[in-house]
Amino acid sequence: MKKVFVFDDNADILELCTIILEDAGYEIKTSSTSNNIIDQVLAYTPDIIFMDNWLPDVGGIEATRELKKHETLKSIPVIYFSANNDVKSLANEAGADGYLSKPFDIQELENIITSHLN
Amino acid sequence: MVHCEALVIGGSAGSLDVLLRVLPVLDEALTFPIIIVIHRKHGSDSLLPDLLSSRTRLRVKEVDEKEPIAAGTIYIAPSDYHLLIEQDRTFSLDYSEKINYSRPAIDVTFQTAAEVYKDKLACLLLSGSNSDGVNGLKTVKIWGGLAMIQDPASAQVAYMPAQAKLHVDIDEILKIEKIGEFVNSLK
Repeated sequence: MKKVFVFDDNADILELCTIILEDAGYEIKTSSTSNNIIDQVLAYTPDIIFMDNWLPDVGGIEATRELKKHETLKSIPVIYFSANNDVKSLANEAGADGYLSKPFDIQELENIITSHLN
Repeated sequence: MVHCEALVIGGSAGSLDVLLRVLPVLDEALTFPIIIVIHRKHGSDSLLPDLLSSRTRLRVKEVDEKEPIAAGTIYIAPSDYHLLIEQDRTFSLDYSEKINYSRPAIDVTFQTAAEVYKDKLACLLLSGSNSDGVNGLKTVKIWGGLAMIQDPASAQVAYMPAQAKLHVDIDEILKIEKIGEFVNSLK
């Protein structure tokens, strides 16, 4: 079963993503903080990561940058998601592999996972 | 209740799980609208109606401003707006201050619905962690409508239905597995 790690400070998003992705056959873990991002991801070793912009501690951009500098974790696709599309270029520069604009629907969520895992 | 012309469901923490269990049980030939107001933050706007839609054959949609209310449809209150029911049976969205720390506030929808549908309104308050909805249920009772709560013993967060039970003369206290059946019995 493919594993998805979702980082978002919005508990509603985390609850909805958990239900939707479990329904779609994924294993999912969620976190509402970017604190110790490397340790969090190493402990779960997901196949794909969703990263929100406004995260407590270092924030989504810095967290993405740290992941993409890490020798073991840099190959895991990071999909950046935000309601503020101005951060898209920052996410790209930090190394994000994809971008999902909020609000998104179930199909968009599943499509972006499929396109990065296949 | 003689005849149900609208059902309004309010909830907060722990209510999504209830909705996901109730929606699949609902009769496809529903003769009234279901209006759902749950506390949520901005950003999950498309996901919630999408997810609920996947659990029922009834039409599910997020409310649009000034939209007429149609029977057999499940309406979801958008995040960050109070949802009001107007006398001409249309919706209106309002961005005024939060009530009970919430926007949408369940009280607002219960109260405005009560003034429109009067004794032909049923309102159900689900799991939640504050007392939003309690005053709304009082108004529903004043106008002769049906006030229902999820059984606090079966709620993930009992505070909201427990407060309603304490302060309002509740007509029905429903366990999760009985909610769908009860809604189907409303005509």
